Amino acid sequence: MSSFRKAQRQAHPAKTNTLLLGVICVLILILTMQIWLLTASLNQSLEGDNAVKWPAFIASALLFSSGAALLRYLPDPIRRAKKATRAEMRRRDP
Amino acid sequence: MNGSQLPEKPDYEVDFPIERVEAEHVSRREFAKFLCLVSGGMAVGTAWVAVKDTLFPPHRIEGEVFVCKTANVPLGGTHAFTVPGSRTPFILIHLNDGSWRAYEQKCTHLSCAVYYQPQADKIECPCHNGWFDARTGNVLQGPPPRPLPHLEVVLKGDDIYVAEPKTV
Repeated sequence: MSSFRKAQRQAHPAKTNTLLLGVICVLILILTMQIWLLTASLNQSLEGDNAVKWPAFIASALLFSSGAALLRYLPDPIRRAKKATRAEMRRRDP
Repeated sequence: MNGSQLPEKPDYEVDFPIERVEAEHVSRREFAKFLCLVSGGMAVGTAWVAVKDTLFPPHRIEGEVFVCKTANVPLGGTHAFTVPGSRTPFILIHLNDGSWRAYEQKCTHLSCAVYYQPQADKIECPCHNGWFDARTGNVLQGPPPRPLPHLEVVLKGDDIYVAEPKTV
C-alpha cells in the first residue's frame, strides 16, 4: 500500500470533517422530505384520497435506502485509519 | 502492541465509560446513524398508513340509516347520533333556513367535539377556535386541515335518514 492516503490526509486535514458534515446535511434533508411525505399521505388518507399513500411509501422507502447507502461513505475515524496505516507499515517493514 | 503505545481500552470501558462527559458524548458518526434510524422509522410510518388504509378502510354506511323524526329537532337545533357498526359520533343540524345537514362530530384537527352555533350559522371547535361552514363543512378559520366529513340527509315524510354521500 502506498502512502498516498496518508499524504492526502496530511495535505487536507479538514476533508473528513467536510465529508461528515455533508453526509449529515444530506441525511437531514432526506428526513425532512420523509416527514413531509408522511404528513401528506396521512392527511390525504384521512380525507379519503387513496392515490397518494402507496407512492408516498415507495418514495419514503427509496429515500431511506439512499440514506442507509450514504452511511457507507462515512469516513473512518482518524484514530482507526492511523492505526490501520501503522499496522500496514509494520507489516511491510517489521 | 509495542511498548511505546498506550494499551487499547477494553470494549466494556468504551461502552460504559467512567467519565460522565465520555458517556454523554455523541459523535457525529453516531448522530448520522441515528438520523438514518429515524429515517427508517419514517418509512415504516408511511408504510403503516398505506397498509392500515388498505386492510382496514373506514366504515361505510350501507343504504340509508334512520336517525330521528323531523319534529325532534327544532329550527337551529342539533341531534347527536351514531350509525350501526361504528362508534363515530355524528350531528344532524337543522339549519336556520330549514335545510338539514349531517356531519361527523370530530374536528379534523385533533378530534375534539364540534358544536353548531345557530346565531352565527357556523360549526365551532372550542378546543383551538376552529370554525366550519355549516352548509358545506368547509374550514372557515383555525387549525383544522380538512373539511368535516359529511353524510347525505334524506327526508322521507317525517323521518330523517342519512346515507353515504354520492361520489361524483
